[in-house]
Amino acid sequence: MTTAPLKYSKSKKVGEGTYAVVYLGTQISSNRKIAIKEIKTGMFKDGLDMSAIREVKYLQELKHPNVIELVDVFSATNNLNLVLEFLPCDLEVLIKDTSVVFKSADIKSWLLMTLRGIHHCHRNFILHRDLKPNNLLLAPDGQLKIADFGLARSLGNANEDLTSNVVTRWYRAPELLFGAKHYTPAVDMWSVGIIFAELMLRTPYLPGKDDVDQLDVTFRALGTPTEQIWPNVSMLPQYNALRVYPPPSRQELRNRFSAATEKSLDLLISMTQLDPSRRCDLTQALLHEFFLESPRPTEPEDLPKKKEKRVKEEDDEMNKRFKV
Amino acid sequence: MDRNGKVKTEAEQDPQPVKKQQVSNDDLYRRSTQYEMWSYTAESFEETRRKANESGRKAATEKFNEVFESIRQKSPEPFEKFKEELNPEKLLDLLTYEEETKYLHYYSRSIIQTCNHFKMPTQVRATAVSFFKKFYLVQSVSEYHPKNILYTCVFLAAKSENYFISIESFVKALVKVLTKDILDLEFIVLQSLKFTLMVHHPFRPLYGFFLDSQAVLLHPSPLMYDVNIDTLGSLYDKSKKWLNDYALLSDVAFLFTPPQIALAAMYDIDKRITDRYLKKVFLKEQKLEVIDEEPKESGFIKKEEPEEAEGVEPKEDKKDPQREQYETLVKTIRRCIRIAKQIPETTKEESKNIDKKCFFTLNPTRLIEKRVTKLSSPSPEIKQEAA
Ligand SMILES: Nc1ncnc2c1ncn2[C@@H]1O[C@H](COP(=O)(O)OP(=O)(O)O)[C@@H](O)[C@H]1O
Repeated sequence: MTTAPLKYSKSKKVGEGTYAVVYLGTQISSNRKIAIKEIKTGMFKDGLDMSAIREVKYLQELKHPNVIELVDVFSATNNLNLVLEFLPCDLEVLIKDTSVVFKSADIKSWLLMTLRGIHHCHRNFILHRDLKPNNLLLAPDGQLKIADFGLARSLGNANEDLTSNVVTRWYRAPELLFGAKHYTPAVDMWSVGIIFAELMLRTPYLPGKDDVDQLDVTFRALGTPTEQIWPNVSMLPQYNALRVYPPPSRQELRNRFSAATEKSLDLLISMTQLDPSRRCDLTQALLHEFFLESPRPTEPEDLPKKKEKRVKEEDDEMNKRFKV
Repeated sequence: MDRNGKVKTEAEQDPQPVKKQQVSNDDLYRRSTQYEMWSYTAESFEETRRKANESGRKAATEKFNEVFESIRQKSPEPFEKFKEELNPEKLLDLLTYEEETKYLHYYSRSIIQTCNHFKMPTQVRATAVSFFKKFYLVQSVSEYHPKNILYTCVFLAAKSENYFISIESFVKALVKVLTKDILDLEFIVLQSLKFTLMVHHPFRPLYGFFLDSQAVLLHPSPLMYDVNIDTLGSLYDKSKKWLNDYALLSDVAFLFTPPQIALAAMYDIDKRITDRYLKKVFLKEQKLEVIDEEPKESGFIKKEEPEEAEGVEPKEDKKDPQREQYETLVKTIRRCIRIAKQIPETTKEESKNIDKKCFFTLNPTRLIEKRVTKLSSPSPEIKQEAA
């Protein structure tokens, strides 16, 4: 795993996160396009950044067609470099691009790939904890890859409390909004359900303005949980002074998701159960009849792509050719 | 095998006519970095450790020679005068493989004390020990003193297991350690770990076996007249302690899988219950009564039996595969127990000596200057002081 930086060439900077700079590059031996995430070390008060540690820790273990591949890790001048497969687009970009039409078979295909990737994480006792369209990256061949494991963690060390302040707000499960300290893989399932809804709506499903508003938005859409539908919910730390909304009727959901089939509504409802113990798990979701009814999920290579990006990519190709 | 050891289908209900592959939990473990990069046979493990010691000694010798030359050039007189005493062969006293091994075991114990001092959870403690041992599979105490490496491993393990502690509060609780000492080493430790941080411990599978043994031995009706939920609970608690006492400090994590180690703990705590459980799981197709009456069986699990005798089994060709699987597993478990209990003991005296050697190996200047001062000292009585 420790390889000389000579194996890769860096071409240009494409992004900068809080703890890393991302460059485009090439694996010289194979001419494969890659992304190099250079993690700054020695600039944080407490040493190596927690997000960087998590990303390295989990990506080293997760090898799956629907999880971003960590090609290599190397160090150069005391910097930690993660060599990742190059993924030029993400689902958020496509959702926002109104010129791209989503067919229901496309949505099914993206959802299926997301579920497969998460299923693999959960089987390895890893929670992602930050699923959102922006972290679902798209490969040039159409494969969807789960990325950004900076908030991920291992499941099931019973003696530890987990923090409820994870998952980008709009995709945060109600048990987290209530400040639950013991949560399960169901938090990821919730996020996938909300992403599923967003793929159908082409706009965020539960866009809360702040943490308080998030509770309101969530329950206005899905009903306020009561002891009856979610036993012991009132014991959770942040459960108080809620406005009581009724759960949406089936017809209301049909109207909300006008193009959705009955089976897709069934799956969506199952994924977004307020009580985490009633929410379906990854296996149940993957086995859901929705995936068996017609139309079949679109083959990844036939999925819609971002047009501009492709042009840009070719530009890069050209630049490189001229440089060499 | 673990609690869910039965082959499970990868739950991908793919509507497309694609051939499905089944991925068992064993397969998942085989894909982990722990299995791929940090699993050894007993022989390859020792060889790796010896190599680390060897290259550490080599590096220390080179460093020593450099320092020796530079001191001699600066002040050649004592080196002329005490040619006999001041030559590298005589001065250089490096840690042998055995000494280094003992030394590392001594420090592994202090990791546990350090973690307990900070009231860190089991997971952090176990991961810190694992990091420490892995570090010294690659590096040697002749290049990196274990004290600061141990603290760095604890600090990094805490972060990796999501039990963050700020460097300030960490260092504040330690004696004579600076923030810089740890932060400077953190990246070196990560690199020596080959950037793999996930550690699979036997605690989770042990809990799995605890649950499964309840299902297997107590339901629908108890299989053993004197075994109930309390018996199994107590077996579980004692096994956990066993893991902390033996598995953590020995090298079994590099030689066996976590479920094997968990079973070893249970087997060593209560052979009778554990064996019954294993038989029930592995030999479920056969009638238990028959197996229990088999005289060879009781001989097979007799503890005093010497290692070699394990091979003396009925050599009938028609041995059924399930029984063979069971017997192989029991053999593995027993080997694991034996190795887990081979933790070298070090006396205080011994560790003090090794400690001194290590100090001078890492600080050759101090060693040489000390010798020079002593030899040049006018009063011969003072020479009697420790070398
Ligand atoms: N594997 C990749 N392939 C191509 N571009 C990437 C890849 N990973 C990250 N990027 C680009 O780098 C930017 C920064 O990424 P990252 O450091 O993960 O920060 P964040 O997830 O906070 O945006 C991203 O917005 C994206 O444009």
